Amino acid sequence: MPTTTAAAMGAAQRRVAGPSLARRIEANPFTWLVPVAVMLGVFYLYPILDVFRLGLTNASLVGSDERYTIVTLQAMFENPALLDILKTTAVFTIASVVGQQAFGLAIALLVMRGERRKLKGMVALRTLVLVAWVIPGIANGLIWQMLFSEAPFGAINSVLRMMHVSPVAWLSDPNIAMLSAVISNVWRGTAFSMIVFYAALKAIDPTLYEAASVDGAGHLQKLRFITLPQLRAAILVNSILVTIQTLNTFDAIISLTGGGPGRATEVLSLFTFNTVFRNYDLAGGSVLSVLMLVISLVLALFYASFMPRREVSE
Amino acid sequence: MTHEAREKWGDALTYLSAIVIAAFFLTPLAWLLSLSLRTRQEVFLGASRFIPKRPTLDNFAQILSDPTFLLYLWNGLKLSALGGLGCLLVAAPAAYAFSRFWFSGKSALMMTILAFQMISPLVILVPLYRYMSRLGLLNSHFGVTMVYIAIGVPMCTWLVKSAIDNIPKSLEEAAAIDGCSRFGTFWRITLPLAAPGLASAFILIVILNWSQFLIPFLLLNKDAQLPISVAIFNFAGTSNASSTQVLAAACLVAVVPAIIAFLLLQRMIVGALTAGAVKG
Repeated sequence: MPTTTAAAMGAAQRRVAGPSLARRIEANPFTWLVPVAVMLGVFYLYPILDVFRLGLTNASLVGSDERYTIVTLQAMFENPALLDILKTTAVFTIASVVGQQAFGLAIALLVMRGERRKLKGMVALRTLVLVAWVIPGIANGLIWQMLFSEAPFGAINSVLRMMHVSPVAWLSDPNIAMLSAVISNVWRGTAFSMIVFYAALKAIDPTLYEAASVDGAGHLQKLRFITLPQLRAAILVNSILVTIQTLNTFDAIISLTGGGPGRATEVLSLFTFNTVFRNYDLAGGSVLSVLMLVISLVLALFYASFMPRREVSE
Repeated sequence: MTHEAREKWGDALTYLSAIVIAAFFLTPLAWLLSLSLRTRQEVFLGASRFIPKRPTLDNFAQILSDPTFLLYLWNGLKLSALGGLGCLLVAAPAAYAFSRFWFSGKSALMMTILAFQMISPLVILVPLYRYMSRLGLLNSHFGVTMVYIAIGVPMCTWLVKSAIDNIPKSLEEAAAIDGCSRFGTFWRITLPLAAPGLASAFILIVILNWSQFLIPFLLLNKDAQLPISVAIFNFAGTSNASSTQVLAAACLVAVVPAIIAFLLLQRMIVGALTAGAVKG
């Protein structure tokens, strides 16, 4: 008898608590984060943990029989190709990051000046640069192949031939192929840097420039002592984004050079892909994936250490 | 006077630089268009026929009359749009919480979500490929869509959060006083008001999905399932010098939808990007 009373009371309480429980659930912010947490957990966190685990095995993409070993790790770091791949990756990344940001900043400054002087066509220029950014990476590689090609339809070489200049082996000379890859990457990636710098330039207080003019500062001095220091945070954030974007670049290279000639343009992401999906070496590819993660993290922290402190900047 | 003269020289220099930059960015696309309008004979004449003597639409006709090619386009659109829609569904509640709740660790959590954006899809696909093959999700659009959603979620959360930030809270408070539940308020008041922001986030993510290559390339094997990005890559692998003009037309058809979508919504997209970039 007492137990039934208790049960009845409990039920009654629950009925009273019912709506308020729902309200309490929806008042908890973490309830709202569940879908995102599930997606990122299933498709990012768990795979990443598994990449770390697989790096310590001898797993292959086709077999299912695997055991723990550090042989893969050893073999990967003793692989003489890895050093070359890392050098190639460094050259490609540094050249792209510097090129995209310098070019992006130049265009942003140009558009700002044009707007200040109310020149026509500045929006059109900005739009044209941004259009390159929405071109799919695969198409980017294929389009630039048509420009660099040494066949009769290659745009650049056929212009050179018309000017009686000997054609250049844009994609088949190992030294020039890297330059070609960088040019095509800069073409597509500059827009992002441009729009970031454009927004940051708009946010600079114009009175700074007026004060500098009163003090008799020239254009270069204004750029050196006002614009660049004011853009510091934007440049650093952008560097992180562009560096990691470039490190992860894969489709634009596989469709432009396929990593060749030889291994002249085989960057780390392409090497990882080939290791896993061409050689079926899942364990080796996992070691390389961890390497990619570590490099991204180290570089992000490196840039972040140069960030101005909030109290100082604001 | 001298100042004005210097400004005039500056203007001339600005225009000159603008023309050089425009030429650099326009040439690849102009060349693609030029090749795609040529006959096979004219392709071999290179730059001397930049404007073809006998322009032809045959290359486009050949591509667009091929039912598989139309299927590639449809697959590309379907995967991109489903991915974008799924992204909104997953990201919107989180974006609401980040915009309307106060809790400790909020900004750290938001940065953590953004940090996922930095991870290459390749890294997660290395183990995912095996799971998906065991779960029988290889060669299924469902599997690809789920990965698209996961990859788009970090950026989508940030975009939708800034869209919700821009909506005044007063309407939501009025609904709450009238007894509307928090979820009801979110669904009936906040989301409809945020529709323009949701739309620009959606379009941006669809454009990014349209360029996705690695995920469908690895997870789909059947020809009839491939989106356009993978299809043109495979086509390039099988084409040779005598079919360059057809490849150019195929590339152009793959690229134009993204360009049109971007041009139509340029203002919204640039606004969303710069808002994120400045806060970033």
